[in-house]
This record gives sequence, C-alpha cells and structure tokens, in this order.
Amino acid sequence: MKRLAVLALSLMMPLAASAGGLTVSDAFVPMAPPGVMAHAAYFKLTNDSPETRRLIGVRAEGYAMAHLHRSVEMGDVATMSAVDAIDIAPGQRIVFTPGGLHVMLMHPAAKQAEGDTVLLTLTFANGETLPVQVPVTRVRHGS
Amino acid sequence: MRRLAILLSLIAAPLMAQVQGVELDEPVALPAFHLENDLGETLDKDALNGHWTLVMFGFLSCPDVCPFTLGNLEAAVSETSMRVRPDNVPQVVFVSVDPARDAGTVSDYARYFHPDFRGFTGTRDQIDTLIEATDSFYRLMKPDASGYYEVQHSSAVSVIAPDGTLRAKLQPPFDPGATAEFLARLQIAYRRSLNQ
Repeated sequence: MKRLAVLALSLMMPLAASAGGLTVSDAFVPMAPPGVMAHAAYFKLTNDSPETRRLIGVRAEGYAMAHLHRSVEMGDVATMSAVDAIDIAPGQRIVFTPGGLHVMLMHPAAKQAEGDTVLLTLTFANGETLPVQVPVTRVRHGS
Repeated sequence: MRRLAILLSLIAAPLMAQVQGVELDEPVALPAFHLENDLGETLDKDALNGHWTLVMFGFLSCPDVCPFTLGNLEAAVSETSMRVRPDNVPQVVFVSVDPARDAGTVSDYARYFHPDFRGFTGTRDQIDTLIEATDSFYRLMKPDASGYYEVQHSSAVSVIAPDGTLRAKLQPPFDPGATAEFLARLQIAYRRSLNQ
C-alpha cells in the first residue's frame, strides 16, 4: 500500500517541467533526516520526442554535488553505484524511485523544511538542460 | 490508460512480494556486546531481554535505501501494533556501522522516523560483534575526492525475541501488512515453543 500512497501523493503534484519533448513529473525530495550528508531526489522523466535522449548529469542548487545514482540489492547487500548516462528512447519513461535510480544530493548548504523547493538542472548529451523545481516533502509510508 | 496500467501494476506488486521474512531453523544466542549513543544511552545483550527487537544496520549518509527502509519499517511496526499485544510491539534499533561520521546524531536520526526508534553505534569491534552474530555484513568504501565514502551493508533486519535470541530476518521492501503478519505468526510460534 505504500506504493499506492506514493502514487496518490505524486498525483496531487503538478507537472514540474518540460522542454524539447522531455517532461519531468512527480518530482520530490524526501526531507533529509537530521545529521545526514546526503539524501536523494526522485522523479519521472518522459521522452515524447522522436529521438533518443541521453541524460548525462544533474546539478542541484544548494548542494556541493549531485550525482545520478542507482541502488542495487546484491544478494542481501545494499550497494550504490554512479550512473554515467541514461538513454531514454522515444516514448520511454525513466522512473527515479526509492531503492533504484535516484539523484544523490550531497552536502546540503542548509537544512530544508517541508514545502521548500530544490532547483535541479538535468543535463543532456546534446547540450540541453532542463531545470526543475522539486518540492521537499515528508514521504508517508505505509497503508 | 497509462496511469491505470501503472496503478494496476502498483497494486499487484506487493501481492507478488509476499516473502517478507525468513525464520531461522534454530534460534541463535547473541554474544555480549555494547553500543552507545549521543544521549548517553547504552544497548547491550541484557537490554534486549523481555521484548521483541528489530535491528537494522546502516549509515546516516545513506541517501536512498536507509531512509526508505526506516520509513517502511515504521509503517510495518505501526501495522504490527494493531495485531499484537502492546508489550509485543517490537522496539526498533538502528545501528550505524559508521561511528566516525554518525556518533553525534545517530539517536536523532532514528527518532526522525518514529519517536520510539532508537539509534546506536559503538566501537568497531563491538559493531563487528553484533554484525557477525546476526550474520550481517557491511563494508566502508574508499573515500572520493571530497572525502565522502559510501557504505555497503545488509539490507535485512534482524528479529530478536524476548529471550535475547535471533529468530528471523525481515527482508525488504517491508510491506507493512505482510511484515506485520510475519511478525505476528513468529510471535505465536515463539510462545508455543516456550510452552512446550
């Protein structure tokens, strides 16, 4: 049921940004717990253009660094690895979601509160950039 | 239609992932260990006696999996509290395997997810004692140019019975209903074994 709750939450949010046939939707940054150096941003990225687009990086205002990252369960062990590039075929939607692809946000300059926004700028191999204002939310888990 | 398809797949997914825990064939007695936190509290073997405990290992700078797991665990424990007697609601303990960075805030971190969650860390050898006893794993990775390092760690949660023995492992994604069901059944089996 938690998936449903996340879905319900995401349905309430407006589309965040689109440019050149690329659309970011359902973006959110779960509020960072105290004491953390890194947390994450999630969204869906849809390619409605006729060409494959390649996401190669991300910048986050208010953070020292931001990376495209993927969590992987290897056996019983949680591991993460950096992702250099993600190809998005025409009509394809890439989902950044907890436990999978995420934007790792590192070394926040200031603590955020619920309702703040984080400006993410997605960068693509063809030189395009797509700025997205992402709301900081307190994620509700469970049924 | 796309939204509907996504919705249906989201509803179906938890039904397919019904295995939320594995009961050990034999309970495992824990060795002596000693952990502490920034509130001056300690956690040792004796502190586990008399109530159920869920132990999760992780690190505070874990951007993705740890907060998600603790959030799900909070929902699972909340669900469990509706199915078992109040004194059988498990205590959740988060153990940071990264004391160098986390010792100052580990209890705040755990309480962020629920006021009753408790966070601890300790010296390397004491952490390793509990890691080995619960058949868990972690590894500190090499620091990057900024000095930041990641930590690989077991994602399973250890279930400790009121007699202080390890009885089961919970596995992600900790679906609240299925996890609560697993814990309730485990507790019934435990009480039966005591009465034999």
